[in-house]
Amino acid sequence: MIVLQILASGILLGGIYALISVGLNLIFGVIKIVNMAHGEFLMIGMYAAYFIYTATQINVGLISIIIFPLMMVLGYIIYRLVIKPLLGTAETETNTILATSGLTFVLQNLALMLWTADYRAIKTPTSSQSFSLGKIMLSVDRTYAFLICLVLVIVLYYILMRTRFGAKVRAVSQDKNAAILMGINVNFIYALTFCVGIALVGVAGAIITPIFSVYPSVGVFFGTASFIVVVLGGLGSFTGALLGGLIIGLVETAAGVLASAELAQVFSLLLFLLVLFVKPQGLLGKNARV
Amino acid sequence: MKKQVDAKNKKFILTLVIISVALLACTVIPFSIYVKHIIIQTVFYAFMATAWNMMCGYTGRLSLGHSAYIAVGAYTSLILYRNHNLTPWVGMLLGGILAMALMFLIAFPCFRFGLKGPYFTLSSIAVMEIVRYLLTSMRSLTSGSLGMSLPYHKTNLFHFQFDHKEPYLVVFLIFWLAAVILVWRMERTRYYLEAIREDDDAASALGISVTKNLIKVALMSAFMVALGGTFYVQYYRYIDPITICGPHMATNLALITIIGGSGTLLGPTIGAALVIPISEILRTSLGDKLSGLHLFIYGIVLIVMIIHMPKGVISIPDVIRRKRESKKAHIETTASESGGASNE
Amino acid sequence: MSEAILQVKGVSKSFGGLKATNDVSFDLYEHEILGIIGPNGAGKSTLFNLITNFYQIDEGDILYKGESIVGLTPDVVCRKGLTRTFQVAKPFSGLTVFDNILVGCLPGSATVAEARDKVDGILEIVKLNDLAHEPGGKLTTLQRKRLELGKALATNPDVLMLDEVMTGLKPHEMEEMMGLVLKLKETKTIMVVEHVMKVVMGISDRIIVLDHGVKIAEGTPTEVTNNPKVIEAYLGRSAKKHA
Repeated sequence: MIVLQILASGILLGGIYALISVGLNLIFGVIKIVNMAHGEFLMIGMYAAYFIYTATQINVGLISIIIFPLMMVLGYIIYRLVIKPLLGTAETETNTILATSGLTFVLQNLALMLWTADYRAIKTPTSSQSFSLGKIMLSVDRTYAFLICLVLVIVLYYILMRTRFGAKVRAVSQDKNAAILMGINVNFIYALTFCVGIALVGVAGAIITPIFSVYPSVGVFFGTASFIVVVLGGLGSFTGALLGGLIIGLVETAAGVLASAELAQVFSLLLFLLVLFVKPQGLLGKNARV
Repeated sequence: MKKQVDAKNKKFILTLVIISVALLACTVIPFSIYVKHIIIQTVFYAFMATAWNMMCGYTGRLSLGHSAYIAVGAYTSLILYRNHNLTPWVGMLLGGILAMALMFLIAFPCFRFGLKGPYFTLSSIAVMEIVRYLLTSMRSLTSGSLGMSLPYHKTNLFHFQFDHKEPYLVVFLIFWLAAVILVWRMERTRYYLEAIREDDDAASALGISVTKNLIKVALMSAFMVALGGTFYVQYYRYIDPITICGPHMATNLALITIIGGSGTLLGPTIGAALVIPISEILRTSLGDKLSGLHLFIYGIVLIVMIIHMPKGVISIPDVIRRKRESKKAHIETTASESGGASNE
Repeated sequence: MSEAILQVKGVSKSFGGLKATNDVSFDLYEHEILGIIGPNGAGKSTLFNLITNFYQIDEGDILYKGESIVGLTPDVVCRKGLTRTFQVAKPFSGLTVFDNILVGCLPGSATVAEARDKVDGILEIVKLNDLAHEPGGKLTTLQRKRLELGKALATNPDVLMLDEVMTGLKPHEMEEMMGLVLKLKETKTIMVVEHVMKVVMGISDRIIVLDHGVKIAEGTPTEVTNNPKVIEAYLGRSAKKHA
């Protein structure tokens, strides 16, 4: 019985992790940069959702529709100020890691100054409610979040695989120079990818706000989690991120039930290191060692 | 060439002597405690950044998880001191050895399998997170996130505790000097590391053992920052997992090194001399009014530096010289072109 | 004929089911220039990567001075006296030309000062004295190829393996490079992978021809050019391709 419960809760958590990491993965896959401040954008999305919800009490799903364009604008500002100047330099890889680490400090402390270190949580009508499916109990909010994640991921997958635009993005991610020769505006694709990646994590933040409290350093935990998920599945591999999310969701739920929450973290980090050493391209990644 | 090298060495030794004498002079000048505190921290971070740079600056393997090794050093010597009354001087050696063991566990697979770029950085962060979770969860030994303080003892060299600031400055100065001289003397290794940073395949094709050299400096770096962990305990008298084993400490070492000039002998020291006083002054003057403002500024400085001066302050004279030369070359070219000669 | 310095015996290597090198055997004798030719994708560079252990072979054996070097790491192979260059020159971009060469000299020198003394001589050979203090990344194609050769020479190898050091050069630059390689033959044994037929024919004592990872011919330049298999596989097909 407990196995089924762990499985169900693990899958729900995994779906949420997958959504949180999709943006990170998209940005790495296409622009080939690691955004260390990923978790901080999640935090901003969470705050945005918190304030919109306390002001209007509207549904979180609707809130995400408002947040998406807002986060795209923020993404574009950051792209122009921080990312673009570093692209195409000799040390793009390390320099973007460092600059986005700096961004972590900027965003976290900006939040601290604006909104203090207090934990904030929103209470939706469905908060702390659960429903039973057979003998398994599932949290309503988590199931709801899981379903939204599923829809978003499917939409994104459709856009990437079935549209002209998606084909361009994939072309850039596979071979930048060939894409340039084919007349694709790489700079535009980069900018848009970054904005969409940030918007996606912002939306993920909005969706999880009924489940987790928000505070300035909440992104640290989720940031690390998304790195684990993404590396596990394969940096740049879209389906890999889903798989990685599910694995980590299950591992953490199981370890959390059987041991403690802290050990659950250690467990997934060890798994992460193991994958890095044995198959750094991730379980589903195609690219060879970088 | 030989003369140039000799002159360079002489200049370097002279610089070290001047810095050391100036710092020793600080022990007799009646500065306020606050100023002394800033100077001591500067020397401490100059030492730490030198150790970080030795591995990460020269090899381009960017570790943002060096806090793990600092924490291993700090906790080892503090626990042994508290529970077994072992002098920190011995405790820090044990901590250093333990840190090297941990580093070997990570560095061996990392470098053996050729992990670099973001993959290396992420693995370094993962190690830091693991160590922090362990320190937080081993409550009976480490008191978890509450942190541990150093049992007070009046001035005693054996206990590595002093009631005045000056002895700390002297100790840190000695270790900083030792670290800088060590890196300086490892001239051959430095060349190897630079070659590996530029292109590890090309380096190994020239007979350089990539894995061995990388592991060697990684172990040395871990040992040194672990010693620094003990210094931290003895000086600040309190540690907790998030300060000593968190991203801030690790990023700080990277930031200091990069601002000064990564992959250079004195870059980390210059970086510490700039970053520590400024951030300390910012913290004390802004920290009360608006907590977070100094770290906000810190982040912005990091971003601006990376974008506009990725080679650090130490590169400024070089940049100026290059600009002047290219201007001169430009003038010469235009002059010779007008004379009918072409310049390739 | 003198003793073979390098013996490649039945070497095979597959990448994901595709045989890049298939049962290749040949000997290399001291003070000769051995040319390796073949159409694109014939497995020429792979062969270099296998001999220097950048890739591990699946089957066969490679003997250097009578001793197997299979399973060693590239740096050890180099220190034994086998040095290769890369098809795409790999200068250490951030280091000066002087330091690029110095790095090559270091593993074989007792002290850094000793290595430093060797650099000028090598800069002289590859004619890069004037550019000694330029960063390696700022060189032109020809200069990069020369630096690549200089770095390899710096390790003072017995066997020099040159991977397309002339591809991409202008005719007069090529002449110059050929002269340089011929001069090196006096003291070294040389293997050249080349795309440019004229070059290989001009400098090689013997030639082996690879096609799809298989050795299809071996002999003097004249023998090889008259071999019908070679004409069909290499010249014939490339002639068709260019038609």
